[in-house]
Amino acid sequence: MTGLNPLTSSASPPLWTLEGLRGADPVLGLALLMVVAVVLAELLHRHARLPRSCGHMLVGALASPLVLSLLERSELDAWKPLIDLAIAILVFELGTRIRPRWLIDNPPLALTCVLEGALAGLAVAASLALMGVPLLSATVAGTVAMSTSPVITLAVLHESRPRGQVTERLLLMTAVNSVLAMLMLKVWHVVAASVDRDLFATGMNALYVISGSVLLGAACGLLLELLSRRLRGTSAMPVLQIGLVIIASMLAVQWTLSPLLALLVAGMVARSRMRHALTVEPQLGSAGAALSVVLFVCLGLLLTLDDLLKLMPWVVAIVVARAAGKALAVATLARPSGLGWRQAGALTLALQPMSSLAVLLAADTFAWASQLPGMDRAVLQAVLLATSLMQITGPLWTTLALQKVAREADGAS
Amino acid sequence: MSVAAFTASEPLTLGVELELQLVSTHDFDLAPQADDLLRVLKNHTGAWDVKPEITRSMIEIGTSIQREHGPLVAELHDLRKQLSAGARKLNIAIAGGGTHPFQHWSAQQIYPTERFHYISELYGYLAKQFTVFGQHVHIGCENGDTALWLLHALSRYVPHFIALSASSPYVQGVDTGFDSARLNSVFAFPLSGRAPFALTWDDFGHYFDKMTSTGVVQSMKDFYWDIRPKPEFGTIELRVCDTPLTVDKAAALACYLQCLCRHLREERPFEPAEDDYLVYAFNRFQACRFGLDGEIIDPKTKQRHKLRDDILRTLARIDEHALDLRALDASNLLRDSLFDGNDARGLRARHATGLPLEAAVEWAAHRWMA
Repeated sequence: MTGLNPLTSSASPPLWTLEGLRGADPVLGLALLMVVAVVLAELLHRHARLPRSCGHMLVGALASPLVLSLLERSELDAWKPLIDLAIAILVFELGTRIRPRWLIDNPPLALTCVLEGALAGLAVAASLALMGVPLLSATVAGTVAMSTSPVITLAVLHESRPRGQVTERLLLMTAVNSVLAMLMLKVWHVVAASVDRDLFATGMNALYVISGSVLLGAACGLLLELLSRRLRGTSAMPVLQIGLVIIASMLAVQWTLSPLLALLVAGMVARSRMRHALTVEPQLGSAGAALSVVLFVCLGLLLTLDDLLKLMPWVVAIVVARAAGKALAVATLARPSGLGWRQAGALTLALQPMSSLAVLLAADTFAWASQLPGMDRAVLQAVLLATSLMQITGPLWTTLALQKVAREADGAS
Repeated sequence: MSVAAFTASEPLTLGVELELQLVSTHDFDLAPQADDLLRVLKNHTGAWDVKPEITRSMIEIGTSIQREHGPLVAELHDLRKQLSAGARKLNIAIAGGGTHPFQHWSAQQIYPTERFHYISELYGYLAKQFTVFGQHVHIGCENGDTALWLLHALSRYVPHFIALSASSPYVQGVDTGFDSARLNSVFAFPLSGRAPFALTWDDFGHYFDKMTSTGVVQSMKDFYWDIRPKPEFGTIELRVCDTPLTVDKAAALACYLQCLCRHLREERPFEPAEDDYLVYAFNRFQACRFGLDGEIIDPKTKQRHKLRDDILRTLARIDEHALDLRALDASNLLRDSLFDGNDARGLRARHATGLPLEAAVEWAAHRWMA
């Protein structure tokens, strides 16, 4: 969708034709996609019990170069600030759901949180290395594979409103493994950037990123508490929250910190300081909900199937090894941490949606390759394919895990 | 089906059952995690018992058979400590209180056992509305006749226990105006209220036979009376108390009942009669609605008193028994609470400061777990 867009003009085909849509203004195009996505997702949800976020992504995929080519991926870069905001709102909300004290009360759970990400990453890296992939590329692939998608996790939670042990652990582990993946990637960036592999500089940079992000997030949370004292109970609260989320997110990018970590910390600090005074509506209200639809449509647009058949062994290795790593960690520590076997299975399944968040939230564009310098292009494409598959099917796994296996949601929505 | 023979048990032994709320540490709404907590507590140490209740957001704990206040308190503290540790491991909280202040009955899930499914099928939505939390106290009796005599003699004191334990002012997010709104939920059941006036186990057996022949009941479990005999345990069971916010209060209430039973058995201050029940519903309502500020009509003298004064006088009358049973600490705790106010007052005070009901639940959970 390029150029200006009279709805109907003699110079361009009508809007209701494919050619007309392709030539329409990108803003109008995305708005139309949003409408179609909402309607189609609702129909799919009612008649096929498909999670709505799956429907939104499917519409994005249909509009992508994969099928109808209504939008080019490069056209989405202009939308990135808005999509980052949608992600930031969800990450902030995730932060408000996290209670760090639980990790102290349940050490085996804390160990599970670290192990499930680490083992998934190790399993992916090892399996790719065994298949002949260069070690550094395999390591980066493993790092990306560590994290579970916070966006999909929260979307499913908003839709099916589950309550229970698996739900709580899923939220906690999603937050922890996303942060771990982000930190590992930060380290990778420094390593890849420094010619002489200066470990001191690497360490200092990692320290700067972690401490800076935590401080920024804490400041944001404290500021929210301070400003909200005069606003409690008013409709201005979500506006204030969105404003501070934007500020924290922008500053984190500007100062080369981690927006993900900063927003998680902001949510946690806000919750611990404000306690019951902090009411975080799902997606921070209807504006946030609209942003979420845009986000999932864009995730659909970003799906790729290029070289799928050629790279299938690597893709399968990534998906299977990742699942095995997470399953091993969860199962090993299930009983000591107070989880039943059925719940362990559900949690493993719910952790499967993959996330490009660790890469993209700190990036300037949607071009992955530029974010991972020095990485083998074929391996990168395999990671992209695995992410695509586990992203578009992700809501299904999480919904299945929480509703059918763990029985923590009744499916009513 | 005939009523079971009454199992003889040591007089004045006691056991306490507490139905407890499982709440989320995030929003302090009820958390359907009874299964998880029961699994974590499977290998608990102690003679006490923990089991599921009708919905998945509740558990019931039961002490072992006790004789005195001190060991009862010690056991309750031990179980509280272990339950709290289990709850923290699961990131949930445990709270007392007769109702959860803002849960919605429709959101509750029936615990999957045959009996609970049967109750759910029979009573429909009432089963989910039965997500209320009570304290039951068992008192040992040597035979069925004594048990029934004691049961009816105690009816005069039922308002005491309601008012002292009341901790359910809120239902579905609204202040009901009652100190104990829990009993209104119990009253919806057709076989609730008072037991039929029978003073011998044989007479009670005849009544039970007639009831089973109608098909209305199948076992003693189908009766939800305020006080009911438990022939298989050899006890009578007082069921009117809301679960208090602390285990110390629960122990004090249990020992108050024990002392009262000793006073009634040994001194026989009056003989129970059918006419005692003329004022029963009024007294019960006053206690539920106004708590310690309610009024009570003496069924024998027909005189009207403040409930608080009546409890004070009764406490003075049974002090000697409290001394003999080493339960003076329990009596003193209750005496103090007459002036400090019951738990319903405490919960209202939290909410009156402008804090939301979530904060009241958090405070209740903190009191129970601390």
